[in-house]
Order: sequence, then C-alpha cells, then structure tokens
Amino acid sequence: MSRFRKVIMWAGLALIILLIALSIYGAFIGAERAQKLVNTLPAAVYWSAFIFILTAGLAVFKRLIRVPALSLIHCGCILTLAGAMWGSEAGHKMQSQLFGIDKIPTGQMAIYEGETENHVAVEDVEQIKELPFSIKLKDFRLEYYKPEYLQVRSRDGEGWKVPVEVGTEFSLGEDFGTVTILRAFENFKIRIEGEQRIITDDPASGHNPALEVRIKSPAGDKETRYVFERFPGHTHAEDELLLSYRRVIRDYVSELEIIKDGKVVAEKNIEVNHPLYYGGYHFYQHSYNAEAGQYTILMVTSDTGLGLVYAGYAMLCVGVFWQLWVRNIFARKKKIK
Amino acid sequence: MEIKYTVQGLLIYIAMGAYLLAFVTTLLRHRKTGRVLYLFGFIVAVLSFGYRWYDVGHVPLQNLFEVFLCLGMIYPVTLFCYRFLRVGGLCGDMLIGAIVLLPAGFVFNAEPQRLPPALQCWLFVPHVAVYAISYIFMAKATFQAICELAGTRHNGEENLSGPEEGTCRMICMGFPFLTLGLVLGSWWGKVAWGDYWGWDPKELWSLASWLVYVGYFHFRYMFGKKYQHLNSVWAIAGMTVIVVTLLWVNLSRLFAGLHSYAT
Repeated sequence: MSRFRKVIMWAGLALIILLIALSIYGAFIGAERAQKLVNTLPAAVYWSAFIFILTAGLAVFKRLIRVPALSLIHCGCILTLAGAMWGSEAGHKMQSQLFGIDKIPTGQMAIYEGETENHVAVEDVEQIKELPFSIKLKDFRLEYYKPEYLQVRSRDGEGWKVPVEVGTEFSLGEDFGTVTILRAFENFKIRIEGEQRIITDDPASGHNPALEVRIKSPAGDKETRYVFERFPGHTHAEDELLLSYRRVIRDYVSELEIIKDGKVVAEKNIEVNHPLYYGGYHFYQHSYNAEAGQYTILMVTSDTGLGLVYAGYAMLCVGVFWQLWVRNIFARKKKIK
Repeated sequence: MEIKYTVQGLLIYIAMGAYLLAFVTTLLRHRKTGRVLYLFGFIVAVLSFGYRWYDVGHVPLQNLFEVFLCLGMIYPVTLFCYRFLRVGGLCGDMLIGAIVLLPAGFVFNAEPQRLPPALQCWLFVPHVAVYAISYIFMAKATFQAICELAGTRHNGEENLSGPEEGTCRMICMGFPFLTLGLVLGSWWGKVAWGDYWGWDPKELWSLASWLVYVGYFHFRYMFGKKYQHLNSVWAIAGMTVIVVTLLWVNLSRLFAGLHSYAT
C-alpha cells in the first residue's frame, strides 16, 4: 500500500473511531444537546472531512471504483452525509442566502378545530413564519383500544379486569359479589336542581370520561360509584374495592385540508405514522390539547435533502448485501466446493 | 428477579433447561444427544414465541421480554452457519440460547401490552426482526472471537473454518442485517416522528455499534491476518456496544429517550 493510500486509510479509520466516541458521548448528554453538538462549526468541519476522505478513498483506491458494491457503499455514505448537511438548519440558511430559497427547516403549528392556520413556530429561533398555503383542522379525535376495562382491586391485592359492557354483571367471586357498569360517559357533567343531582353526558366540548358502576356485595347490599379516567384514586377509606378506569390510546387523528388561493387542494386524515406531504413539507401529528381535544399540534418539516439521504440509504444497503453476501460469503462458499 | 408461574414461563424454562442440558451433554462428548436436546429446546422456544404471539395479538417484538424470547430461537442460525458457512460453535450457540432466555424467564415483565400508536407501522416488525437476527450472528461472531483469543480450535469437526475466519464470516452475515436495521429504523423515525435521525441515545448507541463493525472491516482490510487478535478485539467490542444498545440504554435512567417504551 502506497504512503498516500495509507494516510487516507488511517485518516478514515481515525474518523470512524472519533465518530464512535462522539456517538457514545452524545448518548450520555441526551438528544437535545447531542443535536446541538453535531450542528456546531467544528462538527460541520468534521462532516466535511468525512465526505472528503470518502471521496479521496474513491479516487485513490481503484478497487472502490472497480467493485460496484464497494462504490455503492462509499457513494451511499457520501450521499447520506451530503443530504443530511443540505437539509440541516445551517443548510437551509445557506440556501436562503445563496439561492433565495426560504424554507422552514422544522417547526410546529397549533390549529383549533374548524380553524385555518398558516403560521409555523420555528424551533430554536423563536420566530413565527408563514407557509405559502393554509391548513384547516376539520376535526381532531382520539381513538381507543376496544374493549375498554374497568380495573378492580381489593384491599388485599386481588385484581380483576372488567370489560366495559353496559348492563353486564361481572362476578368478583364469593367474597366480593358482583360489579355492573350502568353507564359510560364521554363527558361526565353533574348539576344540582333543587335537591336532585342531575348527571348527564354532555355532548358539548369537554372531556371527562367516566363510568357509573353498581357494586353488589355478597349480602345483597347495592352501592353506586362513579369512576373517572382523569381523576384516578378517587376512593373513600371505607371502600373495600378500589376502582380505576384507564383507556389505552390506539391513535390520534387530525382531519386536515390544505387550502391554497381559497381552494381545497389536498386533504388527509393524519395519524402517527401517516403524515401529510404537500408543497415540500411533511406534516406530522405531534401533540394535542389533552384537556378537551380542541386543538392539534402539527410538526412541520422540510423535505430538503431527504431524497439524497434516502438514495444514500438505498445504495448503502444494496452495496453492503452485495459485497458481504454475494461477493464474500457465497463466492467463498463456491471456492470451498 | 421473578419466577413466572404461567404457561409462558413454563415454556421458557423448559427451553432454557433443554439448551443447558444440550450444552452439558455436548461438552461431555455426547454430541448426538446434545443436538436432539438442542432441537427440542428450539421447538419449545418456537412454541413459547407462538404462544406469546397468540396472547398479545400482534408480532411479539414490542419490548425487551419479547425480543429476548425471539432471540431464544437460535437453532436455524446455528444450522445455517454449520451447513452453509462451515462455522462451528454449536456448543456456544446452546449456551447463547440459554443466556438470552434467562432475562425473558426471570428479569423482564411479561404483562401483555397494547401497541402504542408509534409502533403501529409496517416497519416495526422488519426493523426489530433484522436487528434480532443480526445480534444472533454478532453473538456467534463474538464466540468465535473469544475462541481465537483463547487459542481454542474446534475439536473433532472437520472442514470447519478457524475462529478468526469464522468471526469474519459471522460478521459478514450479520452486518448487512445490522445496516438494514439501522436504515429501516431511520426511515421509520422519519415516518413516525418527523426526523430520520433524532440523536436519541438508542440511535447513537446503535450507530456506534454499526461503526465498530465498519472499523473492523477497515482494520482487517488494512492488516489482513497480521493482527488476528486485534481483529477479534474489534468483534468483541462490537458485541459489547450491542449489549449496551439493547439493554443498558433501555434499563438505565441515564438514557431516557424516544425508545424508552421498549423496556
């Protein structure tokens, strides 16, 4: 191996070892600080040096060009790094200054039900920017796993999962009697009229899921209790059975419409793992108003550099399988035969 | 540490027992009995995985309990490596099978869980499955590397590769899976969380493990078999980082992040 090749090889190995050390250090300091660290100027120099060494390797080692699988692996790494740098915040700033392309790298937008919004709160710089189109939130909803369960626990630790089926009596054994769910509420409300308590499931905005439960003791005594999802641990000292009601969220759904020049140009119900793509941006279900489900929070990310990164991934995967399986393992196996 | 008095637990303990018995009988040179016991352990491990699948209603790769349950089905990898790649380590595989079932049997909670929204994606199963397969190959590579460092050869096995060559073959088999796992995870991150790389501790440790094997290939290319022991040290370092990625990141409070649900 010539002296120059050796230098390239050692430099490559040194950069790999440095990146291992940086990755481990980054894991200890947490995602937020690690992200800041890799976006600093020294880090940009490091990423550029990595791209340079990979390119120099392709130029110096003829084998990397002659063997297509090795070319794919190394070119894939270059594309991935280049795409990541191009799509980074610094990359967006550079594109804005050099080419006048003013895209929002990443940010969040909160939209109330029935309202239209085009303002994005840009992360880090605490700035509000506008999209060239608007988004309308038609509806936001939470979906839950079925069946839902009422959890029943005795003072001595015995437990039961009672399916929420209104009117069905569920036996807790000889010592504890039975439990019957009488009503299930989405938005429990109570008001006093005269001397009467009026309990309703209010269809207006609000979110207070609850169950009306009748407990029948082995002696035949009946007791009615209310169990609230949002207020667990609501029990009295004399209660023999502790009740709790907790539903498991299956999905968060925002029904969106994209509006441009007063016309609906796209619409989609976005969920976790099902973002909306329009106008060079991806829109993700990020968060929501936990109190009443009145508004949703979308994460907005630009697609700049993404194509390069994905192309790099594809080349890397094809190259690695080709080189290590097809060329290395199975070719060697043939040789052994 | 808790003993699971359930059908699931019973199946895990039977598989573990069979693997351990297979290991001992093979060490005592009753190879045929050892293989039969190993095959029996595998069948029980498959039953245990299938039972879990039926119980939770989705492919059981959601948390560490289920991943270790999956890793316990190591037999096909052993057979493939022995038949097609001429890499031995049968005894080591039996021990690996018992070791990976140990946390499933005694450490991790087996309470069935429903899939949170982020895991309801077609990328979930291939991402975790390819990682599990790669980890098995890398564990076998580590066993070979330890044999290399300890200077042991395979007894009574003809036509098998030496431990250094065996290490390389195992890494050559496992590394593409490791790469695919990383890439699928990154793709899934983009689909679910909006970014293909979030600098999350689990992501960084998995990148570190991938890079250690990248370093292994470059080091081996530079020096060939000149420093065989150092090649083995790279392989063992890779497995050490994998163990951290798989266990420490999820179990330690030091590394809270997007992957914490996998505990």
